[in-house]
Amino acid sequence: MNQAGKALAEFVAESTEIVDVLGKELLVLDQQRGQEPDPDLLNGIFRSAHSLKGLAALFGQEGIATLAHHAEDLLDRLRLGKLSLDDGVLDMLIESLDVFQGMLAQAAREEFSPSMAMRLKELVARLDGVGSAEAAGEEDPLDRLDLEPQVRAVFTEYEEHRLRENVRRGVALWRIRAPFDLSDFDTGLTELNVRLKPLGEVVSTLPSSEPGGATGIAFDLIFGAKVSAEELEAKLQGTPAQIFALKVRPATGAAEPMGSVAPPPAKKGGAREEEASRTRASTADGQESGSRMEQALEDSRAEGGSMSDSSVVSSPHTLSEPPVRTLMLSEDGPPRGPRTEESLRSLTQTVRVDIGRLDALMNTVGELLLIKANLQRMAEAARQQQEVATAASRQYGQELARETRQLERKLDALQQGLLEARMVPVGQVFDKLARLVRRIAREEGKEIDFIISGGEVELDKLIVEELSDPLMHIIRNAIDHGVESPETRLANGKSRRARVSLRAEQKGNHVFIEVSDDGAGIDELLVREMALKRGLITEVQAREMNRRELLNLIFLPGFSTARKVSTLSGRGVGLDVVKNNIGNLSGIIDVWSERGQGTSFHLTLPVTLAIIRALLVGVSGRTYAVPLNSVLEILSVTPGDIRTVERREVLDVRGEHTLPLVRMARLFGHPERNSGRHFVVVAGLAQERLGIVVDELQGQQDIVVNSLGGRLQGVRGISGATDLGNRRTVLVLDVGALLEEAGSLDRRRA
Amino acid sequence: MKFKVLIVEDSKASREFISAAVESISGLEVISTSSGFEALKLLPRHRFDLIITDINMPDINGLELISFVKQSPHYRDTPLFIVTTEGREKDRDRGLALGAAEYLVKPFSPASLEGLVRRYLKLA
Amino acid sequence: MPSAPGLLSLLTVPALSVLLDTFFYRPDEDIGFLEELVAGTDATSSPLPEESPEEYLAFRLEGEFYAVPIHGVREIVKVPPLTEVPRAAPNLLGVVYLRGEVLPVYDIKVKLRLTDKASLVAGPDAPEPPRSARIIVVQTADGLAGIWVDSVSEVVRLRPSMLELDVPGVVGGERDCVVGLGRRNKQLFILLDIWQALA
Repeated sequence: MNQAGKALAEFVAESTEIVDVLGKELLVLDQQRGQEPDPDLLNGIFRSAHSLKGLAALFGQEGIATLAHHAEDLLDRLRLGKLSLDDGVLDMLIESLDVFQGMLAQAAREEFSPSMAMRLKELVARLDGVGSAEAAGEEDPLDRLDLEPQVRAVFTEYEEHRLRENVRRGVALWRIRAPFDLSDFDTGLTELNVRLKPLGEVVSTLPSSEPGGATGIAFDLIFGAKVSAEELEAKLQGTPAQIFALKVRPATGAAEPMGSVAPPPAKKGGAREEEASRTRASTADGQESGSRMEQALEDSRAEGGSMSDSSVVSSPHTLSEPPVRTLMLSEDGPPRGPRTEESLRSLTQTVRVDIGRLDALMNTVGELLLIKANLQRMAEAARQQQEVATAASRQYGQELARETRQLERKLDALQQGLLEARMVPVGQVFDKLARLVRRIAREEGKEIDFIISGGEVELDKLIVEELSDPLMHIIRNAIDHGVESPETRLANGKSRRARVSLRAEQKGNHVFIEVSDDGAGIDELLVREMALKRGLITEVQAREMNRRELLNLIFLPGFSTARKVSTLSGRGVGLDVVKNNIGNLSGIIDVWSERGQGTSFHLTLPVTLAIIRALLVGVSGRTYAVPLNSVLEILSVTPGDIRTVERREVLDVRGEHTLPLVRMARLFGHPERNSGRHFVVVAGLAQERLGIVVDELQGQQDIVVNSLGGRLQGVRGISGATDLGNRRTVLVLDVGALLEEAGSLDRRRA
Repeated sequence: MKFKVLIVEDSKASREFISAAVESISGLEVISTSSGFEALKLLPRHRFDLIITDINMPDINGLELISFVKQSPHYRDTPLFIVTTEGREKDRDRGLALGAAEYLVKPFSPASLEGLVRRYLKLA
Repeated sequence: MPSAPGLLSLLTVPALSVLLDTFFYRPDEDIGFLEELVAGTDATSSPLPEESPEEYLAFRLEGEFYAVPIHGVREIVKVPPLTEVPRAAPNLLGVVYLRGEVLPVYDIKVKLRLTDKASLVAGPDAPEPPRSARIIVVQTADGLAGIWVDSVSEVVRLRPSMLELDVPGVVGGERDCVVGLGRRNKQLFILLDIWQALA
């Protein structure tokens, strides 16, 4: 890559990180709708926009810099309390996120489309249009705080605002002085912050070189406490911190905006700015009112927290509720709280790795696996020659075998480690979808509770990336076609708010993802009618189809039951594309629906595509690999065992069930060989079963699967290729596609 | 002897941009860090001839760093530049009031930074 | 530049030495003759400043000489055992792993009307490939692609004045991937748009 390309890649990588963080933070803010926004959270969002602005400006990305600049302005007003956060503002911020993502995607391709420019211009105009008038003329509460001007000079505008807010609310303010050794002050400060965080707000951290000489450093923390002086002191036991009260003079004239909150009385109008409070806090009233205020905040937060309980969904709803709430269900404990605190340390311990590098490493592991297989063969050969071999060479063979087993174990660990490094929580996609749901629901005039669970389930990064489009499409469908309008729902005796849920669950080597809604459901008779009308099935076929088969017709190309073309589904993309996308990930998709009750889509996906264990089979002198995770069993059959039912070859398995068969040689157009014995590889995904007839079994092997690439994407039944060593390239079967193909063969022949 | 320049900036890409601009001047050694804490630790270990700092950082802010440097008998003569973005004039003015020598508003050209550095280090 | 400049400008231009390195795909390969050819063309050509020559890779297909601009060529490899891909397009001869990537290898003889049907070169029933056959690897918009040629003959330097881009009966028509002729002394090269040939 050249220098400019490298710089661009670096820019895109860091910006993407910032935008992802921004998205997470906005989602938390969204969940806290209707409550007082957490100042730390707002400041975090501001910082994200600020960083993005600086970064984009530096790299000449004007579009991103412009939007970041205007979003930052808005956020600055929010965090400085000059503007209050309402639904309109929040929606605008979330929209900004969409535009950032769009511009970033274009920037990565060195593009900037005119339509994006239009969208940017329009959004910037709206961001700037949000109310700006500042309530001026009031006395600055900060002037009532006794604090040296030189200390005040070091506050940033934001810190000053937070301090002002604390004074205005009558929160007891403290100066906490802590001396540390220069070598480990960051650890000490972090510990101190951990203790202080639950007790109030650290407004500022000022380093001071005054005490301690060359090896010491002291910090003055300006702290707004919501607990009493005793409690603060007790919690700081064992730290080097000393606390001093900061005095606040009573307000002159105008009543305090907080009403019931009385300003803290000043006992002495003394000239000393600080008073050691080892004795007793002089501002007991102020503390009490402060903690009362905080209590109210806590209560409202607790209310927000209880939304994670799914039972709330059925509770009565009022009209004033927001159109969409995103609810997170988590297996372990409460959902992520409003303050997701990450220490600096944990941030620096993460490294960003290009997925391409992991792919390259995985290829190397694949090559090592081939070498290991060769060593195993050599060890085996040495052992088998026992009759002719000398004692010395036998021992050599045994040692080789032992070392090879060691190598195998280490290789397994290496492979496992690499696979884990590629794993990311599927929640990354879920978060993005939650934002989308908000927008669609608003556009469509639907009221929806969007319930997410299992976001912690991990999948290969590439799979997670590829999942977002199909999931987005299914969810769009659910909101657009599945969920009824609030009025219709009420008329049908349903709750006003619909429920759309997105759930992930790990099941062995697979991950199961379900998208379900409690909407109108799919009318399978309508589906049948439509499929007949479009010539997708014949009358005869339709008569023989059961309900599930009828429902699955919606995945056929050219099928759509939408009677009105909305902006959402009128994109010329059908569920057949969704099915293809899932198929490309070696997954399958299934649908179930009850009229009037709702619809659910089930996706079954492998955890990783990088390294899989495969069964090698021989067909007409060629070798193919079958992913072992979809092989249920292997049967040995003679030609006499194979029966024909309605011109379709089937196998009767132990008298239990009839298994449809496909002869691979015939399917792939290879010359068929007459042999007295065949092997049937019974493959299955979800409820589908298929027997694949092959000539021989060649063993199992761990393989690295590479996709066939852009030029070969349309080849049916092949998911990729692998290198077996000795320059032998072997194709990997796409079991999902073969099952699908066999199913449609059934329909055609029926 | 080489001049030593400390760069404090929490964005990796920005940090590398600034470092590259400064390093392009021969005879300079750049030490850079992403955090104010780390900067406080680095100060006594080196004898810096110039400090370039961002204002908005997650641990201590750039103003606090400037104040610390300017109050310390060991470091107070070290010139300090602020790197800031458009719209943060108030914070910038405070930095200058605290004793920062110069400020740079992103986006700036590597050449303008280079010019300032040369001027303050009295390099040709 | 005979073919789409937009596409070409996206490609990295490998140095000739890098390109030649890839001839060492197999240790048993004798490539001495190619180095001589390059050295020879270097010595004989005295480029005028206003008319800089361009390097083309010349190769044979069914006895005819073809040439493509060398900067579009990623590497040249001896024909490895190819794996046939069932139910793929008829011009796909097969696939092979090349340094961790799956390389599809295509026939362009049918497209050029040199044969009626792509020859069977992959799978257990295919004969050994002729010793002189090579795969020319090019970058396309959809990833790498290989093109089967009967032999690689030389790297030829052609100045713009040696090109005839508008030759009636040769350019256009069914063989839409032919973009012109290159003439060096009495030797004619049919210039190909390799991406069009793969389309």
